[in-house]
Amino acid sequence: MKNKLLSAIWLLALMSTIGMAAASPRTDASTEPVVRNSAEVEAETMRLEGEKRFRANCGRCHAAPQKFPPRMMATIIRHMRVRATITDEDVRLVLFYMTQ
Amino acid sequence: MSCRRQNSERPRAGTQIPYSAKTSFLLFFLLATHLLAQTTESDRPVPILTGTAGYFNFVTAGQNQLDAQINPVVLLPLGDHWLVESRAEFEGAFQRPPDGGAYGGMVSKNLDYAQVDYIASPFVTVTVGRFLTPFGIFNERLYPIWIRSLQQDPLILPLSAESNDGMMLRGGFPVNARVNFNYAAYVSAISTGHSNLQSNRDVGGRMGVFLPGPRIEFGASWQKLLQDQRTNSFGFHFAWQPTRLPLSLHSEYARSNQGSGYWVDGAYRFSQVFLWQKVMRHLEFAARAEQFFNGQIPPDEAEALGLPGANTREGEFGLNYYLRDGLKLVGSYGRQFSFAGNFNLWTAGIAYRFAVPLGRAAQ
Repeated sequence: MKNKLLSAIWLLALMSTIGMAAASPRTDASTEPVVRNSAEVEAETMRLEGEKRFRANCGRCHAAPQKFPPRMMATIIRHMRVRATITDEDVRLVLFYMTQ
Repeated sequence: MSCRRQNSERPRAGTQIPYSAKTSFLLFFLLATHLLAQTTESDRPVPILTGTAGYFNFVTAGQNQLDAQINPVVLLPLGDHWLVESRAEFEGAFQRPPDGGAYGGMVSKNLDYAQVDYIASPFVTVTVGRFLTPFGIFNERLYPIWIRSLQQDPLILPLSAESNDGMMLRGGFPVNARVNFNYAAYVSAISTGHSNLQSNRDVGGRMGVFLPGPRIEFGASWQKLLQDQRTNSFGFHFAWQPTRLPLSLHSEYARSNQGSGYWVDGAYRFSQVFLWQKVMRHLEFAARAEQFFNGQIPPDEAEALGLPGANTREGEFGLNYYLRDGLKLVGSYGRQFSFAGNFNLWTAGIAYRFAVPLGRAAQ
């Protein structure tokens, strides 16, 4: 009787483990790529919008300059914000585009 | 009480964290902290030394002038809202004397601006110090030699002050998804103490509307002199960059008691030409038409201000070749027509823009 009870517990534990193991990869497969893709899509959207804003705002006066390191771009965009009276939102999107 | 809690929270002998796990945890914590610090560090703006350098030959009515100049700009960001910025101008202009001999001339030094900017909100930036006068668009935005498509100054540029010493409020914000509004309003004090810091007692401003869709900007400027004859100046500006063409158009009109006039400037990049594309995409054609009408001041006074002494028309066109980003060869030809005499204007030279971080720029 005791052996049967132990066997039943072991069987239950084994089934639970198999069930969890079977369920967990499916969870990973269904959520992770979606999260990654949505982040990538968001970044790509921001980059495209940033490029559009860059061409519209910066192109008013000069041709597209090369991309500088992020810390230099942060200074240059602050300077241009003052000089060219660029809007707050345009500053953020252009900075994102120029530092990607 | 506190001792007891410390004792109860102390790990029991049987559940002590192994050394390797402790090390891993410590490494993970340090790495996370380091990465976090790196992200913050990478976003922090770094001071920059930038500016332009150029060498030009200006041939005006057969008289050759060698012009070498360097215009350093220092940008010093402080915190999240402050920027200290300054631009100086060192220009050597050398000519042969009328009776022949060696080239001679002077090196002029000028402080264009030295200002402190405080970004108070998304709508307002407060500027204090010596700043470029926001009258029209050329003086503030198109003046640097690496930006301007033709190296000769427009005839109407001296109609407004180039720099003022005082305080300014400025900013830009979206009115809706299709319209951005920008403005600048300033007051300046009289300054005569030093030749490099001269300023008039002025009040003025500029407002503009920018349509990001069709890339059109237009606006108006006004300036009132609060000394001497207390005269008014006003102007209009227009800029257009068509989305389908690599073309850039700018234009200004200005009027004051010293005179009035306009200029229209266009620059077309041959990037859409399929013939010799490797060369053509670096090539730009630029042209300008302008006119100046005398004001209420005598000709000698106008010439002292840098304005023509008589009614003048001028046409100019040229080619710019971009060797690489920020480095271009320039060449242009123009002709000026006026009652004082007609003459040719030739320009050839090279313009360079540099930018150096004054600190660690990369991660």
